[in-house]
Amino acid sequence: MKDKIFGILQRVGRSFMLPIALLPVAGLLLGIGSSFTNPTTIETYRLGSIIKEGGVLYTVLDIMSKTGSVVFDNLALLFAMGVAIGMAKKEKEVAALSGAIGYLIMNTAISALITAKGGVEAMAANSTTSVLGITTLQMGVFGGIIVGLGVAALHNRFYKTELPQVLSFFGGTRFVPIVTSIVYLIVGIVMFYLWPVVQSGIAHLGQLVLDSGYAGTWIYGIIERALIPFGLHHVFYMPFWQTELGGSMLIDGTVVQGAQNIFFAELASKSTDVFSVSATRFMTGKFPFMMFGLPAAAFAMYKAARPEKKKVVGGLLLSAALTSFLTGITEPLEFTFLFVAPLMYGVHCVLAGLSYMLMHIFGVGVGMTFSGGFIDFTLFGVLQGNAKTHWIWIVIVGIVYAIVYYFVFYTMITKLKLRTPGREPDHIEPKLYRRSDVNEAKASKAAGGTSGDVISAMILTGLGGKENLSDLDCCATRLRVTVKDASKVSDDLLKSSGASGVIHKGDGVQVIYGPQVSVVKSNLEDFLDTPESDHAEVLLGDQDVTETFAEERSANVDKNQHNSAGSHNKNADTAGADSPVSQTAADSGTQITLYAHMNGTAVKLEDVEDEVFSQKILGQGAAVEPSEGKLYAPCDGTVDTVFDTKHAVNLISGDGVEILLHIGIDTVKLNGQYYESHVSDGQSVKKGDLLITFDLENIKKAGYQLTTPMIICNSDDYNEVVQTAEGSINAGDTLIEIK
Amino acid sequence: MKTFTYTIQDEIGIHARPAGLLVKAAKGYESEITLTCKGKKASAAKLMAVMGMGVKCGDEVTVTVEGADETAAAKGMEEFFNSNL
Repeated sequence: MKDKIFGILQRVGRSFMLPIALLPVAGLLLGIGSSFTNPTTIETYRLGSIIKEGGVLYTVLDIMSKTGSVVFDNLALLFAMGVAIGMAKKEKEVAALSGAIGYLIMNTAISALITAKGGVEAMAANSTTSVLGITTLQMGVFGGIIVGLGVAALHNRFYKTELPQVLSFFGGTRFVPIVTSIVYLIVGIVMFYLWPVVQSGIAHLGQLVLDSGYAGTWIYGIIERALIPFGLHHVFYMPFWQTELGGSMLIDGTVVQGAQNIFFAELASKSTDVFSVSATRFMTGKFPFMMFGLPAAAFAMYKAARPEKKKVVGGLLLSAALTSFLTGITEPLEFTFLFVAPLMYGVHCVLAGLSYMLMHIFGVGVGMTFSGGFIDFTLFGVLQGNAKTHWIWIVIVGIVYAIVYYFVFYTMITKLKLRTPGREPDHIEPKLYRRSDVNEAKASKAAGGTSGDVISAMILTGLGGKENLSDLDCCATRLRVTVKDASKVSDDLLKSSGASGVIHKGDGVQVIYGPQVSVVKSNLEDFLDTPESDHAEVLLGDQDVTETFAEERSANVDKNQHNSAGSHNKNADTAGADSPVSQTAADSGTQITLYAHMNGTAVKLEDVEDEVFSQKILGQGAAVEPSEGKLYAPCDGTVDTVFDTKHAVNLISGDGVEILLHIGIDTVKLNGQYYESHVSDGQSVKKGDLLITFDLENIKKAGYQLTTPMIICNSDDYNEVVQTAEGSINAGDTLIEIK
Repeated sequence: MKTFTYTIQDEIGIHARPAGLLVKAAKGYESEITLTCKGKKASAAKLMAVMGMGVKCGDEVTVTVEGADETAAAKGMEEFFNSNL
């Protein structure tokens, strides 16, 4: 159970990365823009002569503030889309669209119910908000996350769904937004009734914090940090900052509610001698650990990294530490250790909570626009004067925090052998290569597999084979995999494929490759689409893989850039252009691969609406529902016959496979109209050569289906003809495997 | 050896669909069945070869049957041509 949760959290966590990557920029824009357009700031620092409303500088700052702000205001939408993208297994762009649709529909359903129940006035105070112009329940980022997760689940379940023929236009990926809109209409209704219960729960938690003094502040701090991984911290602290939960105060004759509002009202008021700590205790605690603690933790991680990794890791940690220090945006840093060392994050939460409490005890009153970085510290702490804010305590506690964080993190990392960045285990010593190793590696390349293929085969075998994979993705440096049976994973094999380390967390496996991981991943994905991947271990043969591929690996590192650019196309090209299909087959004896003959959607022969094909009277094979009017050669071979009616071609492959490509159902009746042939009988063709073009639109208008079967006429000569792909396909992708 | 000739009535000739049915029918017999048309020859058991002949409406096809069950096969094939082509 715990391991399963880790597997899910791992994916959820990395799916947050896309929207989170935007936050530092948005934060800087908002932080700088709003601070200097704040009338209080302008007045306090007598900037009125430089920054005037309507003036150029003011307008620029205002644009910065508003553009930054719009990101935070619509964070929920970004998460709805970002999480859907991150969690979707394929066709991610459809998931993104569906995420947006789901989010709009859910909020609109809620909005309609709010109106039906008497409008905003009838709802609990502060429980509603406006999202993209829709009046809805205040659900914060959480609203986006439930949409993102749910949509991804729907997407993964339905993106291949086939509908009955009349409705087939709405099938496949098009079905996902449709089902999403229906489901989220219902979710919206459910949320309307359910969410207020959650809100009142959060409110009670808040009350508990308020009632328990210093300890309450500590608990507030722990909860606030602990909610970060779930993205729920805004939901938690915003009520304290913005509603009466954070206190009410009479300032210059006006009742002000909410900790942040109180602080800024006091900032604006001329009668403030000391800022009210009862309000700032929900904010000030951020400064010591964001400006001092976390950067020190980053330094500890840097120091603990292995020497050869320090350069790479240093860049990552420095930018994350700087972001935390300047803007108080901590996610980039916290997420570097959260998933590899949850225990360390736990310690971080406790220390962060303590920071809030210490600030409360020492009576430090420094507010913030949105987080506790150096910018806010300067504007609202130092520049206000120590008498009003006691900001000096932030520095004192901060220095102590830096020391504590450094030693606690460094000790934990080294004693508990935590795999923070740059500490991934690496047992493989560089070895000297024998001549035979090099030859062997070359031979394996010449046999048809590119080095990417062989490495992919090793990775796949190391992960326990294709059947053992349930999910595959990557982050900045590692392949993140969820497997069905963790015991089948071979660390040594993975390491010999070039990984610097392997981390196990139940079913979750993280294989660390460094920044080139995205290339490793796309190679592996391409390889997974080939029939060879079903028995990757065969490709490896009896070779001493560890030895052979250590060489491959070093070669790969050297020409990493080169490889990454070319590898994607290389797979497709090698199989077609330079080597006949038979060579691929030669690897494992009798295997022959045929590649998709069209762009479109691969369908099973059984599903073709013509019994001559569906009952396999003509032979076995597969079909493609074309998305454009072009038919390509599925392999190298010879054109045997182009039908007079040009709607079908017979090909004989180099290996003697007799292939019929038949464009459309019953299209013989068109008698050649709308078809144009580019080849003639007896002509040699290469895989991917254009054979026939046809007018897709007009043939459809004439009332014909264009499903195009590829039939192996001499199926009886082979043991097995297997369709290896379904759904969206491009010409040249592997479609059929013949044994 | 049995032989018969048949003039194709079906206006679209022996295209993929009838070729498939023909081959299926021909494979039901042990005998070797050969088609000859416009100087081209093809085994009726070979789908691609049958399709490759490009037999059209009005073409005359000679069917040759040789083997153990040639009588039944010739009869069966003739019926097939009559009802399908």
